[in-house]
Amino acid sequence: MYSAAQTDNTVSIQNLSFSRGDRKIFDDISMQFARGKITAIMGPSGTGKTTLLKLIGGQLCPEQGCIVVDGENVHQLRLADLYDLRKRMGMLFQSGALLTDMSVYDNVAFPLREHTRLTESLIRTLVLMKLQSVGLRGARDLMPNELSGGMARRVALARAIALDPMMIMYDEPFTGQDPISLGVLVKLIKTLNSTLHLTSIVVSHDVQETAAIADYIYLISDGKVVGQGTPEQISRSESGWVRQFMRGDADGPVRFHYTDDDYLEDLFHTEEQ
Amino acid sequence: MLYVLQQLGYVTRQRLTKLGRGTFFLLHVLTGISDILRRPELLIRQLYSVGVLTFLIITVSGLFVGMVLGLQGYYVLSDFGAEETLGVMVATSLVRELGPVVSALLFAGRADSALTAEIGLMKATEQLSGMEMMAVDPVKRIIAPRFFAGFFSMPLLAALFSMIGVLGGQMVGVGLLGVDDGAFWSQMQAKLDFSDDILNGIIKSTVFGFVASWIALFEGYDAVPTSEGVSRATTRTVVNSAFATLGLDFILTALMFGDD
Repeated sequence: MYSAAQTDNTVSIQNLSFSRGDRKIFDDISMQFARGKITAIMGPSGTGKTTLLKLIGGQLCPEQGCIVVDGENVHQLRLADLYDLRKRMGMLFQSGALLTDMSVYDNVAFPLREHTRLTESLIRTLVLMKLQSVGLRGARDLMPNELSGGMARRVALARAIALDPMMIMYDEPFTGQDPISLGVLVKLIKTLNSTLHLTSIVVSHDVQETAAIADYIYLISDGKVVGQGTPEQISRSESGWVRQFMRGDADGPVRFHYTDDDYLEDLFHTEEQ
Repeated sequence: MLYVLQQLGYVTRQRLTKLGRGTFFLLHVLTGISDILRRPELLIRQLYSVGVLTFLIITVSGLFVGMVLGLQGYYVLSDFGAEETLGVMVATSLVRELGPVVSALLFAGRADSALTAEIGLMKATEQLSGMEMMAVDPVKRIIAPRFFAGFFSMPLLAALFSMIGVLGGQMVGVGLLGVDDGAFWSQMQAKLDFSDDILNGIIKSTVFGFVASWIALFEGYDAVPTSEGVSRATTRTVVNSAFATLGLDFILTALMFGDD
């Protein structure tokens, strides 16, 4: 699978455009995700970062451009081939997306039971190994509603690596976590990436955590790539927008106000309406 | 005037689009039968939660409907001195109409609403989309077993409803009002026809089960994935299944009993 004949990009996005209604979410963007590396996609909320992951996973279709995952054009595959490709992709949803009517153990066993014909004892071994790697072997009999947010995300991570995928996509893994769970997740993503030789795509707007583990960062805003590079290159960037985003400044090219029209004029217009 | 026409066209188009999506959805669900044949345990679990858990409400309602039929039938029939035919009246009305229709309405309130809410919430919490990303088709894995469970349970529940209803009618008619027990049963046996009454009742409830499960699952699958969207979808399920049941009942009755 890792032969040198293939390109060294697991995912490559070329000239992608996508709109929802009249709003253009992506406007002719191109990105490369190098094999075995952690690539981060950062940007303000609502810039369609999750949409990008759904496009890569083939759940949405682009208007233009193509997405190539592991040498296959995602949106030209037949359904059966797309499902085969998805078995090699893991995805960690923001909510965890655990199946609420099953225990932690059954959730992690779910992809194995659906896609393999392994015996129950072998499945048990695999599930316990995956749970051990996220530190939740002792929580296997709990139901998803008994887990904290951080634990749910770790269980979802164990499930995502159950089939030993070649890549894994993290959708906002750090949002709404306490400092300890956050540290655990950051470390887990890094460890899993290096020990399992995964290609990781992390979508996030948590600058510090993401910059700490990413090998390469894309910054997107208003459907365009506004900055890219290694964390060092990004932090040295001359662009005002990039600097404002990375430092979280209130002042800069990104305005605080939603609209541009004059405040006083708007206030005095009430009688006319 | 133009505005009204525009609105009419808009609404019609929306409805037709939805019907089209619903039809494709149904076809997709029906292809799931191969998976169910391979893994019958998925269907059995749903038969329990969709069918078995609806037993109680069906039994209790059937008993009371039968008892009321016994009372009302007795008062009308005794005016003509025909109280011996009470059994025929109770059984015919239950097997032909009330059994399939009332149990379908109860089923919509008890089981279909739960199905819509469950599927809608699974969609809202990204469980369906998570399953897709794990290369598992949620329509085949989650929805098809529920659909066939509803389809198979409905006729059985309707039959149960009719049976309990007849017993309720007998309890009131024979036990309370003094109709002759032998006449009650023998008249019923002589008058009720298998293909005319019982088979038609089964056909009706099979159709209702098919349509109600389709509506419930499609509304859940098509719901806007927010709390408001799921609640609206649940309401639509109950209202639309009730309308569909009553409307189809009229059409089926006209087709089945129109000639006599």
